[in-house]
Amino acid sequence: MATKGKPPKPEELSKISYTPPSKGWMDTPVEFKPGMYCHGTRAKYLEAVGMPFPRDWSASEADWKLPDNWKEIVLQGIKERLQKFRTFHVFMDICVRCGACADKCHFFLGGGDPKNMPVLRAELLRSVYRKYFTTSGKILGKAAGARELTEDVLKELWYYYFQCTECRRCSLFCPYGIDQAEITIIGRELLNLLGLNIDWIMGPVANSYRTGNHLGLEPHTIKANIDFMIDDIETITGIKVDTTYNRKGAEILFIGPSGDLFGVPGNYVTMGELMLFHEIGLDYTWSTMACEGGNFGFFTSMEVAKKLYYKIYSEAKRLGVKWILGGECGHQWRLMNQFADTWWGPPDFLEEPVSPITGTKFENAKGSKIVHITEFTADLIKHGKLKFDKSRNDHLKITFHDSCNTARAMGIFEEPRYIINSVCNHFYEMPESTIREKTFCCGSGSGLNAGENIELRMRGGFPRANAVKYVRDTFGVNMLANICAIDRAALPTLMDYWNPGMDVCGVHELVGNALVMKGEIERTLDLRTEPLPGKGGTE
Amino acid sequence: MPIVEYGDLKINVDDEGYLINFDDWNEQTACALAEREGIEELTLEKLEILKFVRQFYKEFNFFPIFDAVCKNLHQPHNCIAEQFASPLLTWKLAGLPKPDEFIVTVLEHKQTPG
Repeated sequence: MATKGKPPKPEELSKISYTPPSKGWMDTPVEFKPGMYCHGTRAKYLEAVGMPFPRDWSASEADWKLPDNWKEIVLQGIKERLQKFRTFHVFMDICVRCGACADKCHFFLGGGDPKNMPVLRAELLRSVYRKYFTTSGKILGKAAGARELTEDVLKELWYYYFQCTECRRCSLFCPYGIDQAEITIIGRELLNLLGLNIDWIMGPVANSYRTGNHLGLEPHTIKANIDFMIDDIETITGIKVDTTYNRKGAEILFIGPSGDLFGVPGNYVTMGELMLFHEIGLDYTWSTMACEGGNFGFFTSMEVAKKLYYKIYSEAKRLGVKWILGGECGHQWRLMNQFADTWWGPPDFLEEPVSPITGTKFENAKGSKIVHITEFTADLIKHGKLKFDKSRNDHLKITFHDSCNTARAMGIFEEPRYIINSVCNHFYEMPESTIREKTFCCGSGSGLNAGENIELRMRGGFPRANAVKYVRDTFGVNMLANICAIDRAALPTLMDYWNPGMDVCGVHELVGNALVMKGEIERTLDLRTEPLPGKGGTE
Repeated sequence: MPIVEYGDLKINVDDEGYLINFDDWNEQTACALAEREGIEELTLEKLEILKFVRQFYKEFNFFPIFDAVCKNLHQPHNCIAEQFASPLLTWKLAGLPKPDEFIVTVLEHKQTPG
């Protein structure tokens, strides 16, 4: 097991060596460094989902308890995927190792390990591909960049493919357009053929398979948690907002990340959403059977991702809704819009999403029938349907972290900024090379926001934290807004480490603060039930 | 199986100090568990939190939202952090069964999956 201890102090961690090892990469064996990798998954989680080779094993031990024919399984797995995924085949062949991606990866920038250069991380698998699937590799071997698949190579793949957050920043700079995330996705699929996942991914997968959400919240618990938020909203606004669960015939099914039903500051996002829906009289319902926008199955294999996500459409069909509104979630967006259509085709039992308040057709969601809440809210604001008191957010100087999947994958750049500027007076951008499509990952995406790999997370998040530090020092920024639940879980830890005092929030928390609701009392508290400065509060 | 002794009281815990039998818990048991964790006194505020967490777990099979605990008990914000070193310690002293590694990450590292 990896050591759980605290990472080195920031002063130490920021001394990054970029000097490569003296030997070539093939001759430099992988070293499992505590704090840089996660616990291997336990048998019970794999068993829960019917995945192969469930067993308890530890990455730090020599014996990974592999099946005797493990090599055959991996090679057959590669063969099948070369046939199935044209992209994978192309990406295995076309890299010219120009190195344009090398210094674009947050893990390489924050850690200095050459095998975290995307070109080399991919080369770990490409070398195996060459050995078994190309003529030059079969004949020339190492001279052609090929190598045998050994247990050490397999362990190296595991170590580095769970040190990639599938953020795709490197892909943006690749002259060939190689999507490194897809290589990591396939790499993880291959590892999963041998039961080699990590605990923090498989636990949520097993929970979601059982309950429909990563946290494993049961239906009455979901309601209890939302009831608590409704109670807080009443304290803050004097208004008792209403909501419904599993209501057949509702126009819209709302599905946010389950982290927003428990964790801080995610629960304040849910509160903002509940207030917004109340104010516009939205005809929507929750499903207590499919209450998860996130999908850690995506970080496991396509098949597992499908198993988890089918619940969303299945519930939409059962409840007879017209379309689906998604919460502030990151990878939900990439999956729903870039994978779901290919898996199942557009769901014919749903309608093309139309805002019941403004009449806007969300033509971009014709296929998936699912709209991101920032698209929905930005449209409401654009049509003058909401009234705000921006001064309630005046104590905040805000910057916005573009989440990799919503921004780089889906192009949701303007909507969150438009909302923030509509509800806040003080908004500042981080440097251009760190936002929008060039955004830096939080360092904990793709299921890597565990507890035991904290050094990896702090290193991977260093470039993002550095950009936040710049706006803090230059403009006095004190709030880091985002639209992703992993960000809301991971960034507070990252900020505590690199930029103590920097707070983190979701965009709809800011919306809830500023939203002027019909019949509300004079606001003296923010959504965290803390006094609003200058609004009759104590400060 | 380790046994924690506290006055005349003897209770069964696991190697990490989690109570074996959920129903063994009472205020005395809580004091014994707390002493094992180096907490000298379980004040009224602390005991209230433990009882609330325990009741919520019984009913909802999960840890309550942190803010909800404080608000329901009319205690200050961050009452769990102020009264106990971590939510995980609260879990343990409330006599809840040894949590899954998943819950440990949620409570100890304040992480939730996206």
